[in-house]
Amino acid sequence: MKNLFSSKTKAWFLALALAVAVPPVVGGYLVSILTLICIWSIMCFSINIIYGYTGQLSLGQAAFFGIGAYAFGILTVKLHMGFWPAFLAAVVITGLIGFLIGIPALKLRGPYFILVTLGFSVIIGVVLVAWVDLTGGANGLAGIPRPNPVPLPWGGQLSFDSLLSIYYFVLFFLLIIMIFTNSLISSLLGKTLVAISYNETLTESLGINTMSRKILSFTISAVLAGIAGVLYGSYNVVISPEIAYFAKGMDVVAYLIVGGAGTMAGPILGTLVLMAVPELLQVVPSLKTLINGIILMLFLVFLPSGITGGVDTLWVKIFRSRISQHGPAQG
Amino acid sequence: MALLKVSGLTKRFGGLAAVEDLDFSIQGGELLSIIGPNGAGKTTLFNLLTGFYRPTSGRIIFNNADITGLKPYRITRRGMVRTFQMTHIFQNGTVLDNVIIGRASHSRIGLLESILGTPSARREKKKAIEKAREIISFVGLEDQKDKTAHYLTEEARKRLSIALALATEPKLLLLDEPAAGINLEEMGGLMELIDRIRKIGISVCLIEHRMRMVMSISDRIIVLNYGRNIADGTPEEVANNEDVIKAYLGGYRAAQC
Repeated sequence: MKNLFSSKTKAWFLALALAVAVPPVVGGYLVSILTLICIWSIMCFSINIIYGYTGQLSLGQAAFFGIGAYAFGILTVKLHMGFWPAFLAAVVITGLIGFLIGIPALKLRGPYFILVTLGFSVIIGVVLVAWVDLTGGANGLAGIPRPNPVPLPWGGQLSFDSLLSIYYFVLFFLLIIMIFTNSLISSLLGKTLVAISYNETLTESLGINTMSRKILSFTISAVLAGIAGVLYGSYNVVISPEIAYFAKGMDVVAYLIVGGAGTMAGPILGTLVLMAVPELLQVVPSLKTLINGIILMLFLVFLPSGITGGVDTLWVKIFRSRISQHGPAQG
Repeated sequence: MALLKVSGLTKRFGGLAAVEDLDFSIQGGELLSIIGPNGAGKTTLFNLLTGFYRPTSGRIIFNNADITGLKPYRITRRGMVRTFQMTHIFQNGTVLDNVIIGRASHSRIGLLESILGTPSARREKKKAIEKAREIISFVGLEDQKDKTAHYLTEEARKRLSIALALATEPKLLLLDEPAAGINLEEMGGLMELIDRIRKIGISVCLIEHRMRMVMSISDRIIVLNYGRNIADGTPEEVANNEDVIKAYLGGYRAAQC
Protein backbone atom coordinates (compact mmCIF):
# COMPACT_ATOMS: atom_id res chain seq x y z
CA MET A 1 0.00 0.00 0.00
CA LYS A 2 2.89 2.32 0.80
CA ASN A 3 4.19 1.84 -2.71
CA LEU A 4 0.83 2.86 -4.13
CA PHE A 5 0.69 5.97 -1.98
CA SER A 6 4.14 7.25 -2.81
CA SER A 7 3.71 6.68 -6.54
CA LYS A 8 0.43 8.61 -6.41
CA THR A 9 2.18 11.49 -4.69
CA LYS A 10 4.85 11.40 -7.39
CA ALA A 11 2.17 11.54 -10.06
CA TRP A 12 0.65 14.63 -8.41
CA PHE A 13 3.98 16.45 -8.33
CA LEU A 14 4.66 15.52 -11.93
CA ALA A 15 1.24 16.88 -12.93
CA LEU A 16 1.90 20.10 -11.01
CA ALA A 17 5.31 20.52 -12.65
CA LEU A 18 3.73 20.04 -16.08
CA ALA A 19 0.93 22.50 -15.28
CA VAL A 20 3.51 25.13 -14.34
CA ALA A 21 6.15 24.45 -17.00
CA VAL A 22 4.22 23.59 -20.16
CA PRO A 23 2.10 26.74 -20.81
CA PRO A 24 5.01 29.19 -21.29
CA VAL A 25 6.49 26.77 -23.84
CA VAL A 26 3.36 26.15 -25.89
CA GLY A 27 2.00 29.69 -25.49
CA GLY A 28 -0.87 31.46 -27.23
CA TYR A 29 -4.06 29.63 -28.02
CA LEU A 30 -3.29 26.58 -25.87
CA VAL A 31 -2.85 28.77 -22.78
CA SER A 32 -6.41 30.01 -23.07
CA ILE A 33 -7.63 26.41 -23.46
CA LEU A 34 -5.67 25.42 -20.37
CA THR A 35 -7.10 28.38 -18.44
CA LEU A 36 -10.61 27.25 -19.33
CA ILE A 37 -9.73 23.68 -18.33
CA CYS A 38 -8.60 24.97 -14.91
CA ILE A 39 -11.83 26.98 -14.49
CA TRP A 40 -14.00 24.00 -15.41
CA SER A 41 -11.92 21.76 -13.17
CA ILE A 42 -12.91 24.04 -10.30
CA MET A 43 -16.54 23.59 -11.39
CA CYS A 44 -15.91 19.87 -11.40
CA PHE A 45 -14.60 20.04 -7.82
CA SER A 46 -17.78 21.92 -6.98
CA ILE A 47 -19.97 19.08 -8.27
CA ASN A 48 -17.55 16.57 -6.75
CA ILE A 49 -18.23 17.86 -3.22
CA ILE A 50 -22.00 17.60 -3.43
CA TYR A 51 -22.28 14.61 -5.80
CA GLY A 52 -18.95 12.77 -5.78
CA TYR A 53 -18.52 12.81 -2.02
CA THR A 54 -21.96 13.55 -0.53
CA GLY A 55 -23.95 11.62 -3.16
CA GLN A 56 -26.53 14.32 -3.98
CA LEU A 57 -26.60 14.90 -7.73
CA SER A 58 -27.07 18.58 -8.53
CA LEU A 59 -27.65 19.71 -12.10
CA GLY A 60 -27.77 23.33 -10.95
CA GLN A 61 -24.07 24.15 -10.68
CA ALA A 62 -24.14 26.28 -13.85
CA ALA A 63 -26.58 28.58 -12.07
CA PHE A 64 -24.10 29.17 -9.24
CA PHE A 65 -21.37 29.71 -11.83
CA GLY A 66 -23.59 32.34 -13.46
CA ILE A 67 -24.52 33.95 -10.14
CA GLY A 68 -20.84 34.22 -9.18
CA ALA A 69 -19.84 35.68 -12.54
CA TYR A 70 -22.77 38.13 -12.71
CA ALA A 71 -22.49 39.22 -9.07
CA PHE A 72 -18.82 39.96 -9.70
CA GLY A 73 -19.57 41.68 -13.01
CA ILE A 74 -22.33 43.88 -11.59
CA LEU A 75 -20.30 44.82 -8.51
CA THR A 76 -17.27 45.84 -10.52
CA VAL A 77 -18.79 47.28 -13.71
CA LYS A 78 -21.94 48.93 -12.35
CA LEU A 79 -20.99 49.64 -8.74
CA HIS A 80 -17.28 50.22 -9.41
CA MET A 81 -16.16 48.04 -6.54
CA GLY A 82 -12.51 46.99 -6.34
CA PHE A 83 -11.43 43.58 -7.64
CA TRP A 84 -10.82 41.79 -4.34
CA PRO A 85 -13.83 43.14 -2.36
CA ALA A 86 -16.06 42.31 -5.34
CA PHE A 87 -14.53 38.83 -5.60
CA LEU A 88 -15.24 38.18 -1.93
CA ALA A 89 -18.75 39.65 -2.07
CA ALA A 90 -19.66 37.65 -5.20
CA VAL A 91 -18.54 34.40 -3.60
CA VAL A 92 -20.43 35.17 -0.36
CA ILE A 93 -23.60 36.00 -2.33
CA THR A 94 -23.32 32.72 -4.28
CA GLY A 95 -22.78 30.74 -1.08
CA LEU A 96 -25.75 32.43 0.59
CA ILE A 97 -28.05 31.63 -2.34
CA GLY A 98 -26.77 28.04 -2.31
CA PHE A 99 -27.55 27.82 1.40
CA LEU A 100 -31.07 29.23 0.95
CA ILE A 101 -31.85 26.94 -2.01
CA GLY A 102 -30.31 23.96 -0.21
CA ILE A 103 -32.62 24.15 2.82
CA PRO A 104 -35.83 23.25 0.96
CA ALA A 105 -34.20 21.33 -1.93
CA LEU A 106 -32.24 18.89 0.22
CA LYS A 107 -35.39 17.84 2.06
CA LEU A 108 -36.08 15.96 -1.17
CA ARG A 109 -34.18 12.85 -2.07
CA GLY A 110 -32.94 11.24 -5.28
CA PRO A 111 -34.62 12.31 -8.53
CA TYR A 112 -36.73 14.99 -6.80
CA PHE A 113 -33.65 16.82 -5.59
CA ILE A 114 -32.08 16.55 -9.05
CA LEU A 115 -35.19 18.05 -10.65
CA VAL A 116 -35.27 20.98 -8.21
CA THR A 117 -31.64 21.84 -8.94
CA LEU A 118 -32.33 21.59 -12.68
CA GLY A 119 -35.39 23.85 -12.32
CA PHE A 120 -33.36 26.34 -10.30
CA SER A 121 -30.76 26.42 -13.04
CA VAL A 122 -33.36 27.06 -15.74
CA ILE A 123 -34.90 29.88 -13.67
CA ILE A 124 -31.55 31.61 -13.16
CA GLY A 125 -30.91 31.35 -16.90
CA VAL A 126 -34.21 33.09 -17.61
CA VAL A 127 -33.62 35.77 -14.97
CA LEU A 128 -30.22 36.63 -16.43
CA VAL A 129 -31.83 37.25 -19.83
CA ALA A 130 -34.95 39.00 -18.60
CA TRP A 131 -33.62 41.34 -15.90
CA VAL A 132 -32.07 43.68 -18.45
CA ASP A 133 -31.48 46.65 -16.09
CA LEU A 134 -29.29 44.56 -13.82
CA THR A 135 -27.66 42.01 -16.10
CA GLY A 136 -27.64 43.71 -19.47
CA GLY A 137 -29.99 41.02 -20.80
CA ALA A 138 -28.92 38.97 -23.79
CA ASN A 139 -26.07 41.40 -24.53
CA GLY A 140 -24.45 40.54 -21.23
CA LEU A 141 -21.89 42.61 -19.33
CA ALA A 142 -18.60 43.87 -20.71
CA GLY A 143 -15.54 45.45 -19.17
CA ILE A 144 -15.09 43.07 -16.24
CA PRO A 145 -11.70 43.79 -14.71
CA ARG A 146 -8.64 41.60 -14.73
CA PRO A 147 -7.13 40.87 -11.28
CA ASN A 148 -5.49 43.84 -9.52
CA PRO A 149 -1.72 43.58 -9.20
CA VAL A 150 -0.70 41.86 -5.98
CA PRO A 151 2.19 43.62 -4.17
CA LEU A 152 5.06 41.32 -3.30
CA PRO A 153 6.64 41.44 0.18
CA TRP A 154 10.12 42.04 -1.28
CA GLY A 155 8.99 44.98 -3.40
CA GLY A 156 7.56 45.05 -6.88
CA GLN A 157 4.27 43.41 -7.77
CA LEU A 158 2.58 40.51 -9.49
CA SER A 159 0.57 41.95 -12.34
CA PHE A 160 -1.93 40.09 -14.45
CA ASP A 161 -1.72 41.71 -17.88
CA SER A 162 -0.79 38.70 -19.98
CA LEU A 163 -2.87 35.63 -20.76
CA LEU A 164 -0.17 33.50 -19.19
CA SER A 165 -0.34 35.36 -15.88
CA ILE A 166 -4.13 34.90 -15.82
CA TYR A 167 -3.54 31.18 -16.35
CA TYR A 168 -1.27 31.05 -13.29
CA PHE A 169 -3.82 33.09 -11.34
CA VAL A 170 -6.55 30.53 -12.11
CA LEU A 171 -4.19 27.59 -11.52
CA PHE A 172 -3.42 29.02 -8.08
CA PHE A 173 -7.13 28.94 -7.16
CA LEU A 174 -7.47 25.40 -8.52
CA LEU A 175 -4.60 24.30 -6.28
CA ILE A 176 -6.11 26.02 -3.22
CA ILE A 177 -9.44 24.31 -3.89
CA MET A 178 -7.75 20.93 -4.29
CA ILE A 179 -5.93 21.34 -0.98
CA PHE A 180 -9.21 22.46 0.61
CA THR A 181 -11.07 19.42 -0.76
CA ASN A 182 -8.34 17.05 0.32
CA SER A 183 -8.23 18.29 3.90
CA LEU A 184 -12.03 18.38 4.13
CA ILE A 185 -12.42 14.81 2.90
CA SER A 186 -9.72 13.40 5.15
CA SER A 187 -11.26 15.06 8.23
CA LEU A 188 -13.92 13.45 10.43
CA LEU A 189 -16.45 15.94 9.04
CA GLY A 190 -15.57 14.93 5.49
CA LYS A 191 -15.90 11.25 6.33
CA THR A 192 -19.47 11.86 7.46
CA LEU A 193 -20.22 13.49 4.08
CA VAL A 194 -18.96 10.37 2.32
CA ALA A 195 -20.99 8.27 4.77
CA ILE A 196 -24.14 10.09 3.64
CA SER A 197 -23.43 9.10 0.04
CA TYR A 198 -23.01 5.45 1.10
CA ASN A 199 -26.08 5.22 3.33
CA GLU A 200 -27.98 8.27 4.54
CA THR A 201 -30.34 6.36 6.84
CA LEU A 202 -27.48 4.62 8.64
CA THR A 203 -25.52 7.88 8.96
CA GLU A 204 -28.52 9.61 10.55
CA SER A 205 -29.00 6.62 12.83
CA LEU A 206 -25.40 6.97 14.04
CA GLY A 207 -26.17 10.38 15.52
CA ILE A 208 -25.16 12.61 12.61
CA ASN A 209 -27.39 15.48 11.52
CA THR A 210 -27.44 14.50 7.86
CA MET A 211 -29.64 17.43 6.82
CA SER A 212 -27.21 20.05 8.13
CA ARG A 213 -24.25 18.18 6.61
CA LYS A 214 -25.95 18.09 3.21
CA ILE A 215 -26.73 21.81 3.40
CA LEU A 216 -23.10 22.48 4.34
CA SER A 217 -21.88 20.40 1.40
CA PHE A 218 -24.28 22.11 -1.02
CA THR A 219 -23.23 25.56 0.22
CA ILE A 220 -19.55 24.68 -0.26
CA SER A 221 -20.30 23.45 -3.77
CA ALA A 222 -22.10 26.74 -4.53
CA VAL A 223 -19.12 28.71 -3.22
CA LEU A 224 -16.70 26.75 -5.42
CA ALA A 225 -18.93 27.26 -8.48
CA GLY A 226 -19.12 30.97 -7.59
CA ILE A 227 -15.31 31.18 -7.50
CA ALA A 228 -15.16 29.50 -10.92
CA GLY A 229 -17.71 32.04 -12.19
CA VAL A 230 -15.73 35.03 -10.92
CA LEU A 231 -12.52 33.66 -12.45
CA TYR A 232 -14.28 33.10 -15.76
CA GLY A 233 -15.69 36.64 -15.78
CA SER A 234 -12.29 38.11 -15.03
CA TYR A 235 -10.59 35.93 -17.63
CA ASN A 236 -13.14 36.50 -20.39
CA VAL A 237 -13.85 40.20 -19.60
CA VAL A 238 -17.32 39.72 -21.13
CA ILE A 239 -20.11 37.54 -19.73
CA SER A 240 -23.44 36.63 -21.27
CA PRO A 241 -26.40 34.53 -20.06
CA GLU A 242 -25.22 31.42 -21.97
CA ILE A 243 -22.59 30.78 -19.28
CA ALA A 244 -25.40 29.84 -16.87
CA TYR A 245 -27.24 27.69 -19.43
CA PHE A 246 -28.40 24.57 -17.56
CA ALA A 247 -26.73 22.22 -20.06
CA LYS A 248 -23.35 23.51 -18.82
CA GLY A 249 -24.26 22.11 -15.42
CA MET A 250 -24.80 18.73 -17.06
CA ASP A 251 -21.50 18.99 -18.94
CA VAL A 252 -19.65 19.24 -15.63
CA VAL A 253 -21.43 16.15 -14.32
CA ALA A 254 -20.24 14.34 -17.46
CA TYR A 255 -16.66 15.54 -16.85
CA LEU A 256 -16.82 14.23 -13.29
CA ILE A 257 -18.24 10.84 -14.22
CA VAL A 258 -15.65 10.32 -16.97
CA GLY A 259 -12.85 11.38 -14.61
CA GLY A 260 -14.15 9.47 -11.59
CA ALA A 261 -16.60 10.84 -9.01
CA GLY A 262 -15.51 11.10 -5.40
CA THR A 263 -11.79 11.20 -6.19
CA MET A 264 -9.16 13.95 -6.22
CA ALA A 265 -7.82 13.30 -9.71
CA GLY A 266 -11.21 12.64 -11.34
CA PRO A 267 -12.35 16.26 -11.80
CA ILE A 268 -9.09 17.23 -13.51
CA LEU A 269 -8.74 14.13 -15.69
CA GLY A 270 -12.37 14.25 -16.81
CA THR A 271 -12.27 17.95 -17.65
CA LEU A 272 -8.96 17.50 -19.43
CA VAL A 273 -10.19 14.62 -21.57
CA LEU A 274 -13.62 15.97 -22.45
CA MET A 275 -12.40 19.51 -23.17
CA ALA A 276 -9.16 18.58 -24.89
CA VAL A 277 -10.39 15.79 -27.19
CA PRO A 278 -12.81 17.96 -29.24
CA GLU A 279 -10.24 20.77 -29.19
CA LEU A 280 -7.47 18.55 -30.55
CA LEU A 281 -9.78 17.06 -33.17
CA GLN A 282 -10.55 20.62 -34.31
CA VAL A 283 -14.23 19.82 -34.76
CA VAL A 284 -17.06 22.31 -35.23
CA PRO A 285 -18.64 23.31 -31.90
CA SER A 286 -21.89 21.44 -32.52
CA LEU A 287 -19.95 18.18 -32.85
CA LYS A 288 -18.32 18.65 -29.43
CA THR A 289 -21.53 17.75 -27.65
CA LEU A 290 -21.87 14.64 -29.78
CA ILE A 291 -18.31 13.51 -29.12
CA ASN A 292 -18.63 14.18 -25.38
CA GLY A 293 -21.94 12.32 -25.34
CA ILE A 294 -20.36 9.28 -26.95
CA ILE A 295 -17.40 9.36 -24.56
CA LEU A 296 -19.78 9.66 -21.58
CA MET A 297 -21.89 6.72 -22.79
CA LEU A 298 -18.83 4.54 -23.33
CA PHE A 299 -17.66 5.29 -19.80
CA LEU A 300 -21.08 4.67 -18.23
CA VAL A 301 -21.28 1.28 -19.94
CA PHE A 302 -17.70 0.04 -19.69
CA LEU A 303 -16.09 1.99 -16.85
CA PRO A 304 -18.66 3.64 -14.56
CA SER A 305 -16.00 4.38 -11.95
CA GLY A 306 -14.28 6.70 -14.47
CA ILE A 307 -10.64 7.06 -15.41
CA THR A 308 -9.42 6.96 -11.81
CA GLY A 309 -11.49 3.83 -11.14
CA GLY A 310 -9.94 2.22 -14.22
CA VAL A 311 -6.42 3.12 -13.14
CA ASP A 312 -7.06 1.71 -9.66
CA THR A 313 -8.45 -1.54 -11.07
CA LEU A 314 -5.41 -1.84 -13.32
CA TRP A 315 -3.16 -1.21 -10.35
CA VAL A 316 -4.85 -3.90 -8.30
CA LYS A 317 -4.40 -6.35 -11.19
CA ILE A 318 -0.68 -5.57 -11.41
CA PHE A 319 -0.09 -5.82 -7.66
CA ARG A 320 -2.74 -8.43 -6.99
CA SER A 321 -0.63 -10.44 -4.58
CA ARG A 322 0.07 -7.43 -2.40
CA ILE A 323 -3.38 -5.88 -2.26
CA SER A 324 -5.84 -8.75 -2.62
CA GLN A 325 -6.00 -9.04 1.17
CA HIS A 326 -7.43 -5.56 1.45
CA GLY A 327 -9.77 -5.29 -1.51
CA PRO A 328 -9.36 -2.70 -4.26
CA ALA A 329 -7.58 0.52 -3.43
CA GLN A 330 -9.61 3.61 -2.73
CA GLY A 331 -9.37 6.40 -5.31
CA MET B 1 -36.93 4.39 37.33
CA ALA B 2 -37.09 2.67 33.97
CA LEU B 3 -34.50 3.51 31.31
CA LEU B 4 -37.17 3.45 28.60
CA LYS B 5 -40.88 3.86 29.19
CA VAL B 6 -43.37 3.61 26.36
CA SER B 7 -47.01 4.47 26.96
CA GLY B 8 -50.01 4.33 24.65
CA LEU B 9 -47.76 4.17 21.59
CA THR B 10 -49.75 3.95 18.35
CA LYS B 11 -48.75 4.13 14.71
CA ARG B 12 -51.34 4.00 11.94
CA PHE B 13 -50.57 3.82 8.24
CA GLY B 14 -53.85 5.02 6.74
CA GLY B 15 -56.47 2.82 8.40
CA LEU B 16 -54.02 0.09 9.39
CA ALA B 17 -52.62 0.16 12.91
CA ALA B 18 -49.08 -1.29 12.76
CA VAL B 19 -48.57 -0.61 16.46
CA GLU B 20 -51.54 -0.05 18.73
CA ASP B 21 -51.71 1.31 22.26
CA LEU B 22 -48.45 -0.26 23.34
CA ASP B 23 -47.18 0.03 26.92
CA PHE B 24 -43.89 -1.39 28.10
CA SER B 25 -40.64 -0.40 29.77
CA ILE B 26 -37.01 -1.45 29.82
CA GLN B 27 -35.05 -1.27 33.08
CA GLY B 28 -31.38 -0.29 33.17
CA GLY B 29 -29.17 -3.32 32.50
CA GLU B 30 -32.05 -5.43 31.27
CA LEU B 31 -32.24 -7.55 28.09
CA LEU B 32 -35.76 -7.37 26.71
CA SER B 33 -36.72 -9.39 23.65
CA ILE B 34 -39.61 -8.54 21.36
CA ILE B 35 -41.05 -11.50 19.48
CA GLY B 36 -44.10 -12.06 17.33
CA PRO B 37 -45.15 -13.21 13.88
CA ASN B 38 -44.06 -11.37 10.74
CA GLY B 39 -45.98 -8.13 10.39
CA ALA B 40 -46.68 -7.90 14.11
CA GLY B 41 -45.13 -4.42 14.21
CA LYS B 42 -41.72 -5.18 15.71
CA THR B 43 -39.60 -3.22 13.24
CA THR B 44 -42.22 -0.44 13.17
CA LEU B 45 -41.76 -0.22 16.93
CA PHE B 46 -37.98 0.21 16.48
CA ASN B 47 -38.61 2.88 13.85
CA LEU B 48 -40.86 4.71 16.32
CA LEU B 49 -38.41 4.43 19.21
CA THR B 50 -35.50 5.75 17.17
CA GLY B 51 -37.41 8.59 15.51
CA PHE B 52 -37.55 7.24 11.94
CA TYR B 53 -41.36 7.22 12.25
CA ARG B 54 -43.42 9.78 14.10
CA PRO B 55 -46.01 8.12 16.35
CA THR B 56 -49.71 8.77 15.69
CA SER B 57 -50.13 9.01 19.45
CA GLY B 58 -48.39 7.98 22.66
CA ARG B 59 -45.26 8.90 24.59
CA ILE B 60 -41.70 7.65 24.63
CA ILE B 61 -39.70 8.54 27.75
CA PHE B 62 -36.00 7.70 27.58
CA ASN B 63 -33.55 8.36 30.39
CA ASN B 64 -36.11 10.65 32.13
CA ALA B 65 -36.70 12.81 29.07
CA ASP B 66 -39.55 12.86 26.57
CA ILE B 67 -38.04 11.96 23.20
CA THR B 68 -41.31 11.54 21.26
CA GLY B 69 -40.98 13.03 17.78
CA LEU B 70 -37.26 13.87 18.00
CA LYS B 71 -35.10 13.37 14.90
CA PRO B 72 -33.17 10.06 14.74
CA TYR B 73 -29.75 11.69 15.17
CA ARG B 74 -30.92 13.45 18.35
CA ILE B 75 -32.22 10.22 19.85
CA THR B 76 -28.91 8.50 19.08
CA ARG B 77 -27.05 11.34 20.79
CA ARG B 78 -29.21 10.81 23.86
CA GLY B 79 -28.03 7.21 24.03
CA MET B 80 -30.48 4.97 22.16
CA VAL B 81 -29.18 3.44 18.94
CA ARG B 82 -30.34 0.66 16.66
CA THR B 83 -29.09 -1.81 14.09
CA PHE B 84 -31.08 -2.57 10.95
CA GLN B 85 -32.65 -5.82 9.82
CA MET B 86 -30.91 -5.56 6.43
CA THR B 87 -27.55 -5.14 8.20
CA HIS B 88 -26.78 -1.58 7.13
CA ILE B 89 -23.04 -0.97 6.95
CA PHE B 90 -20.95 1.34 4.75
CA GLN B 91 -20.13 -1.25 2.06
CA ASN B 92 -17.35 0.73 0.34
CA GLY B 93 -15.41 1.68 3.46
CA THR B 94 -12.99 -0.42 5.48
CA VAL B 95 -14.09 -1.85 8.82
CA LEU B 96 -12.06 0.85 10.57
CA ASP B 97 -13.58 3.65 8.46
CA ASN B 98 -17.04 2.31 9.27
CA VAL B 99 -16.55 2.42 13.01
CA ILE B 100 -14.89 5.85 12.86
CA ILE B 101 -18.11 7.20 11.34
CA GLY B 102 -20.03 5.61 14.19
CA ARG B 103 -17.84 7.68 16.46
CA ALA B 104 -18.06 10.93 14.44
CA SER B 105 -21.17 12.24 16.21
CA HIS B 106 -19.01 12.81 19.28
CA SER B 107 -16.83 15.29 17.40
CA ARG B 108 -17.67 18.97 17.79
CA ILE B 109 -15.10 20.08 15.22
CA GLY B 110 -16.48 22.55 12.67
CA LEU B 111 -15.68 23.19 9.03
CA LEU B 112 -12.87 25.69 9.49
CA GLU B 113 -10.96 23.59 12.00
CA SER B 114 -11.43 20.50 9.82
CA ILE B 115 -9.95 22.21 6.77
CA LEU B 116 -7.08 23.85 8.61
CA GLY B 117 -6.31 20.60 10.44
CA THR B 118 -5.95 22.39 13.79
CA PRO B 119 -4.42 20.50 16.74
CA SER B 120 -7.88 19.94 18.26
CA ALA B 121 -9.20 18.55 14.96
CA ARG B 122 -6.24 16.19 14.72
CA ARG B 123 -6.64 15.19 18.35
CA GLU B 124 -10.33 14.39 17.85
CA LYS B 125 -9.55 12.32 14.76
CA LYS B 126 -6.83 10.41 16.59
CA LYS B 127 -9.18 9.77 19.49
CA ALA B 128 -11.89 8.56 17.10
CA ILE B 129 -9.45 6.13 15.47
CA GLU B 130 -8.26 4.84 18.86
CA LYS B 131 -11.81 4.38 20.08
CA ALA B 132 -12.79 2.68 16.82
CA ARG B 133 -9.92 0.18 17.16
CA GLU B 134 -11.00 -0.57 20.72
CA ILE B 135 -14.58 -1.28 19.61
CA ILE B 136 -13.41 -3.37 16.65
CA SER B 137 -11.44 -5.64 18.94
CA PHE B 138 -14.38 -5.73 21.37
CA VAL B 139 -16.61 -7.22 18.67
CA GLY B 140 -13.80 -9.49 17.49
CA LEU B 141 -12.95 -8.05 14.09
CA GLU B 142 -9.41 -6.79 14.77
CA ASP B 143 -7.85 -9.07 12.17
CA GLN B 144 -10.20 -7.69 9.50
CA LYS B 145 -10.09 -3.99 10.33
CA ASP B 146 -8.51 -2.94 7.00
CA LYS B 147 -10.84 -5.08 4.89
CA THR B 148 -13.49 -3.35 2.78
CA ALA B 149 -16.83 -4.02 4.46
CA HIS B 150 -18.26 -5.35 1.22
CA TYR B 151 -15.95 -8.39 1.41
CA LEU B 152 -16.93 -9.46 4.93
CA THR B 153 -18.89 -12.63 5.69
CA GLU B 154 -22.51 -12.23 6.78
CA GLU B 155 -21.55 -12.94 10.37
CA ALA B 156 -18.75 -10.35 10.32
CA ARG B 157 -21.19 -7.82 8.83
CA LYS B 158 -23.53 -8.41 11.76
CA ARG B 159 -20.68 -7.82 14.16
CA LEU B 160 -19.65 -4.68 12.26
CA SER B 161 -23.19 -3.27 12.34
CA ILE B 162 -23.18 -3.79 16.12
CA ALA B 163 -19.74 -2.16 16.35
CA LEU B 164 -21.09 0.88 14.47
CA ALA B 165 -23.92 1.21 16.97
CA LEU B 166 -21.58 0.70 19.95
CA ALA B 167 -19.30 3.46 18.66
CA THR B 168 -22.03 6.00 19.43
CA GLU B 169 -21.70 4.95 23.13
CA PRO B 170 -25.34 4.04 23.75
CA LYS B 171 -27.14 3.34 27.00
CA LEU B 172 -29.69 1.22 25.16
CA LEU B 173 -28.90 -0.87 22.08
CA LEU B 174 -31.76 -2.00 19.83
CA LEU B 175 -30.88 -5.06 17.73
CA ASP B 176 -33.16 -5.90 14.81
CA GLU B 177 -32.81 -9.63 14.00
CA PRO B 178 -29.05 -9.90 14.52
CA ALA B 179 -29.12 -13.68 14.09
CA ALA B 180 -30.93 -13.75 10.75
CA GLY B 181 -28.90 -15.50 8.06
CA ILE B 182 -26.12 -16.92 10.24
CA ASN B 183 -25.54 -20.53 11.31
CA LEU B 184 -25.91 -22.11 14.75
CA GLU B 185 -22.25 -21.92 15.66
CA GLU B 186 -22.06 -18.24 14.67
CA MET B 187 -25.21 -17.64 16.69
CA GLY B 188 -23.34 -18.87 19.77
CA GLY B 189 -20.62 -16.30 19.12
CA LEU B 190 -23.21 -13.58 18.70
CA MET B 191 -24.90 -14.48 21.99
CA GLU B 192 -21.54 -14.32 23.70
CA LEU B 193 -21.02 -10.82 22.21
CA ILE B 194 -24.43 -9.64 23.41
CA ASP B 195 -23.56 -10.98 26.84
CA ARG B 196 -20.35 -8.93 26.92
CA ILE B 197 -22.25 -5.82 25.76
CA ARG B 198 -24.55 -6.19 28.76
CA LYS B 199 -21.58 -6.64 31.08
CA ILE B 200 -20.24 -3.20 30.15
CA GLY B 201 -23.55 -1.73 31.31
CA ILE B 202 -25.51 -1.36 28.08
CA SER B 203 -29.16 -2.40 28.10
CA VAL B 204 -30.31 -4.41 25.10
CA CYS B 205 -33.63 -4.67 23.31
CA LEU B 206 -33.72 -7.53 20.83
CA ILE B 207 -36.03 -8.44 17.96
CA GLU B 208 -35.38 -12.03 17.00
CA HIS B 209 -37.06 -15.06 15.48
CA ARG B 210 -34.46 -17.63 16.60
CA MET B 211 -36.25 -18.95 19.68
CA ARG B 212 -33.31 -20.91 21.07
CA MET B 213 -31.41 -17.62 21.34
CA VAL B 214 -34.34 -15.56 22.64
CA MET B 215 -35.28 -18.05 25.34
CA SER B 216 -31.75 -18.42 26.66
CA ILE B 217 -30.52 -14.82 26.81
CA SER B 218 -33.61 -12.73 27.59
CA ASP B 219 -34.47 -11.41 31.04
CA ARG B 220 -37.95 -10.63 29.84
CA ILE B 221 -39.94 -11.08 26.64
CA ILE B 222 -42.86 -9.18 25.21
CA VAL B 223 -44.97 -10.68 22.44
CA LEU B 224 -46.55 -8.55 19.73
CA ASN B 225 -49.43 -9.65 17.56
CA TYR B 226 -51.16 -7.28 15.13
CA GLY B 227 -49.39 -4.37 16.80
CA ARG B 228 -50.65 -5.23 20.29
CA ASN B 229 -48.78 -6.49 23.30
CA ILE B 230 -50.32 -9.90 24.05
CA ALA B 231 -47.85 -11.07 26.70
CA ASP B 232 -45.08 -9.69 28.89
CA GLY B 233 -43.00 -11.84 31.20
CA THR B 234 -40.00 -14.08 31.76
CA PRO B 235 -39.10 -16.58 29.00
CA GLU B 236 -40.72 -19.32 31.10
CA GLU B 237 -44.00 -17.43 31.52
CA VAL B 238 -44.18 -16.44 27.88
CA ALA B 239 -43.43 -19.96 26.63
CA ASN B 240 -46.37 -21.29 28.65
CA ASN B 241 -48.82 -18.53 27.76
CA GLU B 242 -51.79 -19.95 25.85
CA ASP B 243 -52.32 -16.80 23.72
CA VAL B 244 -48.68 -16.77 22.71
CA ILE B 245 -48.68 -20.42 21.74
CA LYS B 246 -51.74 -19.85 19.61
CA ALA B 247 -50.40 -16.73 17.91
CA TYR B 248 -46.77 -17.57 17.44
CA LEU B 249 -44.99 -20.24 19.42
CA GLY B 250 -47.01 -23.25 18.31
CA GLY B 251 -44.43 -24.13 15.73
CA TYR B 252 -41.56 -23.67 18.14
CA ARG B 253 -43.03 -25.87 20.81
CA ALA B 254 -43.79 -28.58 18.32
CA ALA B 255 -40.33 -28.55 16.78
CA GLN B 256 -38.33 -27.45 19.86
CA CYS B 257 -35.68 -25.72 17.79
